Amino acid sequence: MDTLETLKSSLALMAPAITLILGGSVVMAASLVLKPGNARDVHGQRTGVAIVSLAILALAAMMELWRTIPSELGQGLFRFDQTALASERLALLGGLILILMSWSTAPKANLGEYYGCLLIIIGAIPVVGASNDLVSLFLGLELISIPTYIMLGISKGDNAGSEATIKYFLLSAFASGFFLLGISYLYGFAGSTNLQVIQSSYASGGRLISFAVVLVMCGLAFRITAVPFHFYAPDVFEGTSLTLAGIMSYLPKVAGFVALIRVLGTGLGAEATAVVVPVLFVCSAITMLVGNFMASAQSSLRRLLAYSSVAHTGYLLLALTALLRQNAEPNVLFSYLAAYAAMTLGFFACLGEIEAAGGKTQLVGDLSGMFYRRPAASIGMTVCLISLIGLPLTAGFWAKFLVFMGTVAAGTKDPWSIAMAVLMAFNAVVAAGYYWRVLGKLFEKSDAYVPLRVFRPSLFVAYTICVVLTLVWFFVPAVM
Amino acid sequence: MTFLIPLIIVLPLFVGLGIFLAGKKGDALVATAVGTAALVFLLSLLLVGQVYTASVPDAASGATIQPRLAYAPDWLQVHLPVSVGGHQVRWQLEFGADGIGALLVLLTGIVGLVTMSLATIQIKERLPQYLALMLISQSMLMGVFLSMDLLSFYLFFEAVLLPLVLLINGWGNRAEALNASRKFLLYTLVGSVPMVLGLIGLALLSATPDRASSVSFETLSSLARETQLAAISSASSDSASAIGALASKEQWIVWLLLLGFGIKLAILPLHTWLPTTYSVAHPNTTALIASVVAKLGVFGIIRIVVPLTPIALSTYAQMLFGGLGALAIVYGALVALSQTDLRKVLAYSSLSHVGFITLGLMSMNTEGLTGAAIQMFNHGIITCGMFLMLAMVEQRRGQLSLAEQDRGLASVYPKLAVLMVFFTLAGAGLPGLNGFVGEVLAMTGMLRLSGFFTGIAVLGTVLGAWYGLRIVQRLLFGSDGASHSKGSVGVTGDIQANEFLPLVAMAAVCLFIGLRPQDTIQLIEKDIARIANVSEPSAKAIHPEMDGLVAQTKP
Repeated sequence: MDTLETLKSSLALMAPAITLILGGSVVMAASLVLKPGNARDVHGQRTGVAIVSLAILALAAMMELWRTIPSELGQGLFRFDQTALASERLALLGGLILILMSWSTAPKANLGEYYGCLLIIIGAIPVVGASNDLVSLFLGLELISIPTYIMLGISKGDNAGSEATIKYFLLSAFASGFFLLGISYLYGFAGSTNLQVIQSSYASGGRLISFAVVLVMCGLAFRITAVPFHFYAPDVFEGTSLTLAGIMSYLPKVAGFVALIRVLGTGLGAEATAVVVPVLFVCSAITMLVGNFMASAQSSLRRLLAYSSVAHTGYLLLALTALLRQNAEPNVLFSYLAAYAAMTLGFFACLGEIEAAGGKTQLVGDLSGMFYRRPAASIGMTVCLISLIGLPLTAGFWAKFLVFMGTVAAGTKDPWSIAMAVLMAFNAVVAAGYYWRVLGKLFEKSDAYVPLRVFRPSLFVAYTICVVLTLVWFFVPAVM
Repeated sequence: MTFLIPLIIVLPLFVGLGIFLAGKKGDALVATAVGTAALVFLLSLLLVGQVYTASVPDAASGATIQPRLAYAPDWLQVHLPVSVGGHQVRWQLEFGADGIGALLVLLTGIVGLVTMSLATIQIKERLPQYLALMLISQSMLMGVFLSMDLLSFYLFFEAVLLPLVLLINGWGNRAEALNASRKFLLYTLVGSVPMVLGLIGLALLSATPDRASSVSFETLSSLARETQLAAISSASSDSASAIGALASKEQWIVWLLLLGFGIKLAILPLHTWLPTTYSVAHPNTTALIASVVAKLGVFGIIRIVVPLTPIALSTYAQMLFGGLGALAIVYGALVALSQTDLRKVLAYSSLSHVGFITLGLMSMNTEGLTGAAIQMFNHGIITCGMFLMLAMVEQRRGQLSLAEQDRGLASVYPKLAVLMVFFTLAGAGLPGLNGFVGEVLAMTGMLRLSGFFTGIAVLGTVLGAWYGLRIVQRLLFGSDGASHSKGSVGVTGDIQANEFLPLVAMAAVCLFIGLRPQDTIQLIEKDIARIANVSEPSAKAIHPEMDGLVAQTKP
């Protein structure tokens, strides 16, 4: 089969991604029509664009259900294995919640651009997930980066917003450089951009493969906010709107981990594994420790959430080591990401509702007594926080449990894995400390409370979905 | 009648959740909650009856842990995307009851019914929510005692935290409740999150290329029995190295498990959550925590650590934990002697009593384990009674201290005083009451291993009588007590029939076990014997000096 043939056949299978990206472009083009006039109806436009975006998302979801995946996966540009399907579902899930969150929080002046960029980012994740070629992989990753710059730029006009945008742009370009350097080595070694060809050459490669893989990981570490590429996260979370902080904590992380799984495949050769796994251990340990201890020290809620997102990356990196040593399936990572989406985006949606109703959410202290001012959102936050701690009856429990399982399974022969698992366990306890601090604030008692009464149905629906998923997924250990 | 086991777990859970979500006020909700607690108590009695009469396989063979009633439907299977030794993980969850589990189910049933019925008198605000959370905690505790596999054990063990934290936080002392519940949560998590690694390790070590991993206690314990006994009985020359290899392989597992269970048990350097929690939570809540929740650690050790990893336990931690247990007896008693806040006195006395249980456990022989198991039940009943009486006195007098102004309560509340003397004596280990049975057995077990630790424990019993009688002397006698009624909450007279009856019933249990311990021991002896079949040879192989006293007296 020649390349054009496979490209054509994979176009039908890429229908969900194509729908999203084309739809995003259409919405963005519509912004030309939506441009300001004195008489424009902002409220109507908001609702209209949000509904159109949801319709595009629903269409993409239907496309996903309608197509049939051939049993022969082939060697072409795209490959529709389990990773591709899981990344598609993660993108659609996140997309649904994020569009609902954006409904009442998107910037009024740039509605078309905002939703267009969001849809393109959501559509680009399946492109990354299905990529079987370095070129399409890079294309997918850049399809995520470039709209993100725009969104950061338009979401807030103040100095903090501009600073966040510039920081993100420069660091992102820098990381892309690392990634390109890494994949150029991979190409040079294997003589092909096809990932399956590259993966089959891992077994024969030694140091060079490990070097290239570590470079690729550096490039992707930026997207998953792994230490030492995490510096932008707290500033960006603090400088942008809540919804965008939610987007930044989830979508790039999914893309980064899916890309890592794509490049690493089902495993490196023995020699490269021996080099890469310790690197991942160190990276994971530092990421967890920095994330959790910096989060413990924060009084700003946004920065706390940014560092908590860093800490979760540390746990996911540990799961990646289990994957590399073939003790876990990629499902472990995907299930974690799904649970993470439910609990983190749910938390952001609750905060968004409080902010939309006129409350403040910048500092942890701003949440004091929130249960008595806004009970529904506070209960939602409570469930999300319990899930973030990782206690049973929530999806967060299985997320952590599966990472533990994978790591210990590898550790029956390797004491370092056990040590890493123990380190992660203690980190989870440190994390419980600061999540509990937030939780305690919600229920703090005082006399003078003004109830927040403004009701935003879209945000309410968003966090209700998240809370229900968080609770229901406890009964389904591996959701993806 | 396997439906009994799921019913005991699910009934209080669903009723509790229903009441919690239902609303704020309503006598019907309260009546439903107490009625459910009564029903659960009856069900637990029925369960004990069935376990008592169930036929027991011979102790000499088979798995160390064998449920006499089992409930393991096929749909309780967990498939995880993780593979070990080439096998995808598929775990069958199992529930069941053996004698030890049944005894603790009964304890949970009794304590649940008594605390909930007395809560209707003592808790004034948000009563339905309180009862709902108590029911949910009860359900989770039942789940721990009835689970027959590592995973569901851990799930319930961890899940019980949530309702308890809410109970401590919502109905404790306003000023300190938040910090106390945070301390309780974090302390417990420090132990239990790393502990899950140990449990996973136990499950995964059972996997070989031709056998998938399992979490079932029955499977794991029969495997453990084989490997441990094989290591001991392999030819004497390389026996030491086989034992050493096995011990070092399981070392990390044992440490992680002991960390988790040790914190729940409040073993000495890890005990500081206990006084804070006990003195901040409402005494009615504390009655549940001190009598049942504090037993989770002991139960975990007797169910998981002793039967599954006896050699590693014996090699690394037996003497250490035995020593810490002995130390806890004396330390708890001394601190209890020096406190004036009655809540703290009871908290430290509880610490001291749990020391006896630890001592019995760490002897790892039949006598000690029997003592530990039966003392779990006894201490549960006694502590529950003490804290409930504390709640009643506080309701009448405000927060209590053993200083001057609270003296002479006996003349004001004569019935309460009689019961308080009774329970104090039971706690101090007076022969004829239940505290004596457990303590003597635990010390007998330890005597086979170490005379020194037993000596310390005996010293502890003397101190125990001292602080117990100090409570009686200071609080009940010494003045007519009439003029000092401060901070009372509407109740001033002696206890009523509805407060009196539950306590009398519990006192009757104390007396019954004290006078006829053999009936209770019969429930657990076969299960203990099966555990001791593995653990006693292990302890002997590691500590050859064991039974030194016996050997010397032989002709």
